[in-house]
Amino acid sequence: MTSGDNIAAHPSIPADRDILVCIFQRGAADGLNALAPYSDANYYVHRPTIALPAPAPGNPNSGIYVNDDYALHPALAPLKPVYDAGDLALVHATGVPHQIRSHFSAQNLIERGVVEKTGPTTGWLGRHLALSPAASSSAFRAISISGNVPVALSGAVEPLAIDNLNDFGFDQDILDSGYPEVLADLFHAGVPFAGPANAALAAMEELQAADLPSITPDNGAVYPANSALGAKMLQAAQLIKSNIPVEVVCIDSDGWDHHESLQNYIDISLTELANVLSAFYTDMGAGMARISVLVYTEFGRRIAENGSLGTDHGTGSLAYLMGGGVNGGQVISDWPGLDIGDNEDLQITTDLRSVIAEMLDKRLGGTNVATVFPGFSGPTTVGAFLD
Amino acid sequence: MAKPADIDLSAILGRMQNRREFIQLLGRGLGYSALATVLPACGGGGGGGSDSDDDLPQVPAQSPVPKPSAEYTVLKRTSFGPHRDELTSIQNLGIDNYLEQQMDYLGINDGSLEADIQALFPLSTQTPLQLLGGFPDNIFDVASQMVAATQYRQMFSKRQLFEIMVEFWSDHFNIHLVNGLGPTLKPYDDQQVIRQHALGNFRDLLHASAKSTAMLFYLDNFFNQAVAPNENYARELMELHTLGVDGGYSEFDVKEVARCFTGWTLRFPGDPGGDYGEFVYVDAIHDKQAKLLLGNSIAAGGGQDDGEQVLDILAAHPSTARFIATKLCRRFISDDPPQAAIDAVATAFTASNGDIRDTLRALFASPDFLADADLKFTRPSEYLAGVVRALAPDTPYPPDNGLFWFYVQNTLGQLPFYWPTPDGYPDLQSYWASTGGLLNRWRISFLSFAGLIPGVDVIQIDYPAMLNGADTIDTVVDAITDAVLMRPLADADRGVIVEWLEGELGVTADDVLAPTQPEQASALVAAVLISSVYFQLR
Repeated sequence: MTSGDNIAAHPSIPADRDILVCIFQRGAADGLNALAPYSDANYYVHRPTIALPAPAPGNPNSGIYVNDDYALHPALAPLKPVYDAGDLALVHATGVPHQIRSHFSAQNLIERGVVEKTGPTTGWLGRHLALSPAASSSAFRAISISGNVPVALSGAVEPLAIDNLNDFGFDQDILDSGYPEVLADLFHAGVPFAGPANAALAAMEELQAADLPSITPDNGAVYPANSALGAKMLQAAQLIKSNIPVEVVCIDSDGWDHHESLQNYIDISLTELANVLSAFYTDMGAGMARISVLVYTEFGRRIAENGSLGTDHGTGSLAYLMGGGVNGGQVISDWPGLDIGDNEDLQITTDLRSVIAEMLDKRLGGTNVATVFPGFSGPTTVGAFLD
Repeated sequence: MAKPADIDLSAILGRMQNRREFIQLLGRGLGYSALATVLPACGGGGGGGSDSDDDLPQVPAQSPVPKPSAEYTVLKRTSFGPHRDELTSIQNLGIDNYLEQQMDYLGINDGSLEADIQALFPLSTQTPLQLLGGFPDNIFDVASQMVAATQYRQMFSKRQLFEIMVEFWSDHFNIHLVNGLGPTLKPYDDQQVIRQHALGNFRDLLHASAKSTAMLFYLDNFFNQAVAPNENYARELMELHTLGVDGGYSEFDVKEVARCFTGWTLRFPGDPGGDYGEFVYVDAIHDKQAKLLLGNSIAAGGGQDDGEQVLDILAAHPSTARFIATKLCRRFISDDPPQAAIDAVATAFTASNGDIRDTLRALFASPDFLADADLKFTRPSEYLAGVVRALAPDTPYPPDNGLFWFYVQNTLGQLPFYWPTPDGYPDLQSYWASTGGLLNRWRISFLSFAGLIPGVDVIQIDYPAMLNGADTIDTVVDAITDAVLMRPLADADRGVIVEWLEGELGVTADDVLAPTQPEQASALVAAVLISSVYFQLR
């Protein structure tokens, strides 16, 4: 199986589950210049220099018309066809409600699926996976394409962390020497870190059989060159199209902390994000029917620009949902307005936990919200997904 | 956090991700068939390999890892890996005297080490003005020399505790090197901030860091001015450098601190009054209004002293003592250190006004310091330097000027000065003990440090000296275990290795080996030992 078109018939994943790809925008991505609320006059009051111009024919720097309230950043143009096809929804003024503005603490909270320090130390995705039975005995049930397991996956049974799937294994000389078997014996049950050690050995065998490098992009998809995110999404695509029954893939997108020169930096970041998502969408083809992609960040940025034409740490931001099961072609938002008053931030009016809870329920085979998001009282649907 | 790097070194490094390509880049590839000369029983398409477990012994379900000596644990925790001479030294001196000697690092004769570094990696100690001359063409050279100088000291310096603390503070006051003007500024920060104060006084270190132009650039304070403050440095100063995220400051405090540091910047090329890259305070853009920080009033009309006052308030704050103490205990004991140890260390920090040696003395005196061994998975820097220190402590420096080690540490995910965000490389074992992390260590262990990367004599391992005449599999395994691991191996684990060698070499454990076989067996034993969990724990 080397085509995304065949994913719908994937032998090892239950029909009621999508494959989930989670992209975390590290650094607190700005939502207000990605999807600009151009009908809100305060947007231009508070971002006099850096705001995205309202849609204007003939001005390539102006926003792309989405509806009478919102415009996409022109760098996100590759996603407009996906939006128009109904496979992309944009959730604005979203996030998890807390007062933390530290990147590191906020990432920790959102990945743990909580709003305060207390509570489980495992991640929301890890707990979801622990609750739902594995579809196979593959070591690849959940993987982060990075060197390290993200907090969100913590709590799953031996999630993998592999930064380059195309170079994960031993050369034949080493395999022939019996060294892997010696390692397996030395990392026997009871030895510290036997879990990841044996998962690594098992993953290696599966990868050797799958021959990922031979799986190339389909449908003319082109992943951007010199893009770390692109290289990781390409690997996710190869993995999904192989016979390995992966269920969850986590990927980081770095460099969203635009304290200065936001216009320049967000253009670079959004260009990469849009081209990568678009390439993946094309590559997967009809397979997108069985794939959900979630793009989220730890918090948004201030409404007002700062003295270095960037923005400091804020609250609400933008989340992206892509997939055949997404109720796309819409902006999901209960717009709070940008009248700063007592608040300098975009207020959160759609709890990201509601969005994720709906996704887990409708697209990942059901979930137990009380365990995945302890203390969360709902709502557990925002109309972002198809049943 | 940091802005995106202007130049993506990972793209350059990406070319070297493939090991063979890398070796070709070095122009010293001999072809992989050379493996056959090292692994006669299994290389080159011959027999001897096995995909089944049948010829390996069955291991009992539970076999604990025997604990090492206290002296070993001290070296594992306060150095970049036990070195045979140092193990002897600590056994002779006693733990307390050894640590006290390490604390007085300037009293330790480090031979020609710093002169060697000057000769090998001159860019690593140059001033911003000097480095600006070659910028930006010199970015990769600066980066690789900074990394190599760091690795060189970690591997070969006798001032091991000092180097551990240099790494600790480099993470604590993390600056991403390849970040805008960073390559011209960070080497000076490394020399004059981190290395200058690593075992000195925290207050001095904090003040030096606040005036470090590498930091002022990295955390955007050079933008920070009265008419439009930039909060980036102010927030990280409290969250990461002093109070900790739960240290009791508010968003209001972040804004006030940002105002106090308005005007703290660096001299750019062409600015009058001094050299590029020096710290300069510009009064004209300083916020002159009164400020209120954590209940302390800072009067209107102040200047540079506003920021100095902030630093003194933060350095003396009890939350800072707790935060630093927690991080030190996490570094030297375990991820979740006992509260009693943290309290004792915090008390010493406060009582000594931030004297780092007195603070460490309290940590080392804590009963929790050596209450148990093997509490933590080592980070890649300790693994890499530890391998060299265990296997080839007297190895000559490689002719590639450290490029191979640069590649290895990049693969392992802890290249010095490359962590992009201001929190520094994580110090939690769950982060490092991942599937990918383990596999990378296994590959590097097997290929390079057992001497199996053909043509790359990165380190020269003197197996005959370790073997001391051992000439059977039994005696070879014991000799190499003593020399390389320096801690006891469980009988079951020893049995796994012995039986493997029997299969590979086609002899039984007590047969006298052919003349070249003990060295061949040594390489395999060493590779397996440094791949094992024994070597990864501290």
